[in-house]
Amino acid sequence: MAPPPAPPQKSPSPSQPSGKSEVSDLKLQLRQLAGSRAPGADDSKRDLFKRVISYMTVGIDVSAAFSEMVMCSATSDIVLKKMCYLYVGNYARCHPDLALLTINFLQKDCHDEDPMIRGLALRSLCSLRVPNLVEYLVAPLGAGLKDGSSYVRMVAAVGVLKLYHISAATCFDSDFPAVLKSLMLTDPDAQVVANCLFVLQEIWNLEANKSEEASRERETLLSKKLVYYLLNRIKEFNEWAQCLVLELVAKYIPSDSDDIFDIMNLLEDRLQHANGAVVLATIKVFLHLTMSMTDVHQQVYERIKAPLLTLVGSGSSEQSYAVLSHLHLLVMRAPMLFSSDYKHFYCQFSDPSYVKKLKLEMLTAIANESNTYEIVTELCEYAGNVDVPIARESIRAVGKIALQQYDVNAIVDRLLQFLEMEKDYVTAETLVLVKDLLRKYPQWSHDCIAVVGNISSKNVQEPKAKAALIWMLGEYSQDMPDAPYILESLIENWDEENAAEVRLHLLTAAMKCFFKRPPETQKALGAALAAGLADSHQDVHDRALFYYRLLQYDVSVAERVVNPPKQAVSVFADTQSSEIKDRIFDEFNSLSVVYQKPSYMFTDKEHREPFEFSEEIGNLSLGQESVGNARRYDESDKDLLLSTSEREENGGPNTNGPAAAGYSAPPDYNSSLVSLSSQTQSETAISDPGMPKHTSQMTLAIDDLLGLSVPAALAPPSLKLNPKAVLDPGTFQRKWGQLAVSISQDCSISPQGVAALTTPQALIRHMQASSIQCIASGGQSPNFKFFFFAQKLDGPPSFFLMECIINTSSAKAQVKIKADDATASEAFFALFQSALSKFGVL
Amino acid sequence: MPVAASAIYFLNLRGDVLINRLYRDDVSGNMVDAFRIHIMQTKELGTCPVRQIGGFSFLYMRISNVYIVIVVSKNANVACAFKFVVEAVALFKSYFGGAFDEDAIRNNFVLIYELLDEIMDFGYPQNLAPEILKLYITQEGVRSPFSSKSSDKPCPNATLQVTGAVGWRREGLVYKKNEVFLDIVESVNLLMSSKGSVLCCDVTGKVLMKCFLSGMPDLKLGLNDKIGLEKESQLKSRPIKSGKTIELDDVTFHQCVNLTRFNSEKTVSFVPPDGEFELMKYRITEGVNLPFRVLPTIKELGRTRMEVNVKVKSVFGAKMFALGVVVKVPVPKQTAKTSFQVTSGRAKYNASIDCLVWKIRKFTGQTESTMSAEVELISTMAENKSWTRPPILMEFQVPMFTASGLRVRFLKVWEKSGYNTVEWVRYITKAGSYEIRY
Repeated sequence: MAPPPAPPQKSPSPSQPSGKSEVSDLKLQLRQLAGSRAPGADDSKRDLFKRVISYMTVGIDVSAAFSEMVMCSATSDIVLKKMCYLYVGNYARCHPDLALLTINFLQKDCHDEDPMIRGLALRSLCSLRVPNLVEYLVAPLGAGLKDGSSYVRMVAAVGVLKLYHISAATCFDSDFPAVLKSLMLTDPDAQVVANCLFVLQEIWNLEANKSEEASRERETLLSKKLVYYLLNRIKEFNEWAQCLVLELVAKYIPSDSDDIFDIMNLLEDRLQHANGAVVLATIKVFLHLTMSMTDVHQQVYERIKAPLLTLVGSGSSEQSYAVLSHLHLLVMRAPMLFSSDYKHFYCQFSDPSYVKKLKLEMLTAIANESNTYEIVTELCEYAGNVDVPIARESIRAVGKIALQQYDVNAIVDRLLQFLEMEKDYVTAETLVLVKDLLRKYPQWSHDCIAVVGNISSKNVQEPKAKAALIWMLGEYSQDMPDAPYILESLIENWDEENAAEVRLHLLTAAMKCFFKRPPETQKALGAALAAGLADSHQDVHDRALFYYRLLQYDVSVAERVVNPPKQAVSVFADTQSSEIKDRIFDEFNSLSVVYQKPSYMFTDKEHREPFEFSEEIGNLSLGQESVGNARRYDESDKDLLLSTSEREENGGPNTNGPAAAGYSAPPDYNSSLVSLSSQTQSETAISDPGMPKHTSQMTLAIDDLLGLSVPAALAPPSLKLNPKAVLDPGTFQRKWGQLAVSISQDCSISPQGVAALTTPQALIRHMQASSIQCIASGGQSPNFKFFFFAQKLDGPPSFFLMECIINTSSAKAQVKIKADDATASEAFFALFQSALSKFGVL
Repeated sequence: MPVAASAIYFLNLRGDVLINRLYRDDVSGNMVDAFRIHIMQTKELGTCPVRQIGGFSFLYMRISNVYIVIVVSKNANVACAFKFVVEAVALFKSYFGGAFDEDAIRNNFVLIYELLDEIMDFGYPQNLAPEILKLYITQEGVRSPFSSKSSDKPCPNATLQVTGAVGWRREGLVYKKNEVFLDIVESVNLLMSSKGSVLCCDVTGKVLMKCFLSGMPDLKLGLNDKIGLEKESQLKSRPIKSGKTIELDDVTFHQCVNLTRFNSEKTVSFVPPDGEFELMKYRITEGVNLPFRVLPTIKELGRTRMEVNVKVKSVFGAKMFALGVVVKVPVPKQTAKTSFQVTSGRAKYNASIDCLVWKIRKFTGQTESTMSAEVELISTMAENKSWTRPPILMEFQVPMFTASGLRVRFLKVWEKSGYNTVEWVRYITKAGSYEIRY
């Protein structure tokens, strides 16, 4: 441990010495005592040592007294010795020359008759961490591993790991791993065994990538023989060592189902252990062992429920937090698991906010048909909570539940009641939610719009909420009598609007409103476009310019772009891919679960330079790397994410569906994006010379446009699918047998698609998002087979059935479609293809 | 790697280091500054006990006026790390004999350094059991230079004890009077809706023991829990005696309890550690007897007056009584003046927590008591910000009462020397989080 490189102590308290005089004073006193054999000498030494250590603790450099401390170390007082060891361990690394002085007495202590002293000396010797002193370590370590006292062996085992971290070569040359291995299998003392185990685990894990032998050694740590040996002794280990053993067992690959049941029977009682860490480790073993046995896995979930709920309620809030994070992970995998225990997740007034937040997430996750009413009622209680972040969180939770459920009737009423609470933050959160709800359930627009229309835009200040309100004003302007006028007043205050997000929405809403109620909006649109063009924000400027040119080019095209027929959003983006979730699950019982990301995202940089950290603090980099990592990951996973999501944050709601194609500007426009704003302006000037006349000319142009008859909107896509189609396997099989093949086609798959298909689950989920359900799938790389089905949304129930055989090695897919209504199968095939291409397969 | 910690820091509320111990090299540089700048000096403090700063994870806990911070650079085992801190604090407390706070740390820092060395090595928890550590880490620790070293033999013995078959108890204990104290301590959690219906309620209970027994005694505890009784009647093939049986939702035991035997025979048998320990913990959600009913009526009379009326009924046996009953009724911040009328106890307005606090020292069973208060408010401009009524909180202790109805049926002590023992059993029910909305 190095003394901090930065100024050690910024605000020393008055009792601390200010300069070197105290240190030299200490030195003097120590020197006087060094040779003293007087009866009271040890007591005075103790006091002096205490002072030295307390200075060291607060960060004052007392390394100057090193030689005096070493001189005083010749004592039989064990407490004095410990303090001296502590001091030496602290300064040895930055004063290697001085550390050499201590070797002598430490080596001598390693031969003391008292095992306690032998152990302590050995531990300190290994903790010096001075690379050029490793030669002095080998002999005492070797002796320590063979010591008659288990205490010394225990310390020596860990010493080997410390040696490994200082000099791996020395560690291997002395053949310590082999000694540890035999010790692990034979030592009568369980703690020695446990220490050998984690030392070997750590060494072989770090070495595994370097040599084949090491990775073989790592394998043997997971061999049946060793695992059973440890399991049979599990009760001898203390609670912490049990955690280690259980962690190892969780990685063990059982040979057959008997193996699995044997282990589970043996460990069943660990679920009743008082130490929560042991219980969680046991749960991990159970979950991982039964991964391949669906039925048993379900039973395991039932079995672990009670212990988990106990863990939530017992111990400190921090412990509850750790357990709740794990519960949340489990609930995501098995939502039904806790659906009847929802009351356990009601927030207590005294819970800290981090616990409340997780409880809210749990309540959201377990809400289903049977408990929604109670859960939403409870959540509504929290909306008035004093703790504003929690109040917001609970409103969001209500919204999330609404988006999950079929029956949203009651929830919509509740949400609308929130708007009547007349609290700014409640209104803000609710508006955002109502917007999302309307995107999924347009049928509620009537009820919602009536209430939303009564909200004064002056009471809404938060950008997100304001944007949501403006979106609704644009989208439902035909149902809100005041919409054009509210928009107009908002546009008048354009300059006071700080958030670009809001200005972007204003532009779009003005456009939408214009096409629905032209005479009333015309003036406002003109003002909005003018203000947008003059806007300093690049995106706002670009969008205004884009709309302007679009209107100039062709009004009917503009309308198709701005007001396309919209499909209700069936599934909102899941922020994490199933692959990530699986990785987190693999790392159960670790920080990954708390952070909700796999460990490589936050521990990537393994070997940091000692001082790197202080620089990072200078940059105030709050978890910079991890953010970067996450982003990188996002990119690699982009295809998947984009296809399942309507990415709204940046593009505004009009970017989804067919409009997306219209939104990507023509190439020449793109090039102007790069140019500076002055250039853009000159470009604009080409079409309408003279900036001052800009507005008036534009209004004129729009007047002209108004004269044109607006053509009917483009015909909607010929086929819409029911997002909630249901078909049981029996019916599917019967239909498949009865119907004739209407389309049979081969297509080729892109290499990217082949890569994406390494997890067929992802394809299935993606298809689901496109309202094409998978009823069965199977196969092993390179051959996959999927059976999909879909149902027409309108008209009499009409199903499409499909068999899709994909060979990833030849990159070919073979598709067979059968349909109730064979005439529509072409359209369905087109839909399927477009969905596939969005996934990146075609 | 299930590392629990790379370093551990003890800081006071200003962020000064009281004690630190670096176990692994992967954590270096000035972590304390990072903690101060990114956690202590921001609003983030207390929003989450696990934070990541520049590739390092900070797991922290506040205990009285001390922050205990664990820093790791790897993917650590969180549950284990927090449990380690909790256990370590319990260990320190058992050494200091009481409070764990800044002063206690300053006064005992050498001892804490010693302990930190023993309880964790290179980031892996070793042994935290106080009964073992006390054998070889003593506050005195002086080896008199005049006494011969050979007489100092507990050490090798102690190290054997660390992991022996009965690691939690050493042999050769002798007591003149063999006594066992058993306490069943329950805390009732309640959440009552404003309509007076129970939203959720449960009991978490602990069985605490204090053993002063000679030799290596075997103990067997029988409770009136359903599974245990059924099993017993099965074994003895006689029907369960009528009377209340309790269904335990979940039980955890001290490591001394023979879990194999619990699973097969459903009896709690164990060789107890010497002194004080927590034998078992349990949780119950069905059939909870709430000791108190609270009936609040709160009227807002216009903008500046409130009328608060709270009636509390005790519903436990008339021969029992509750101690330290406190009812806290939240009132708005702008409270100016209060006046009270109580049928028992004393009530006053506590401005620092914005509550009317009503205290009753002794509350007999099957009685009721009321408090009526008038609250005058300062009229403010922010009228439309209606007051969010936080729940009424209640504290109490009811000796000789268990909210779950759990009872000890027997406690048998068997030792080969066949001595007689005296067993003492106590029950107490406390309020956990007892919240009543209105």
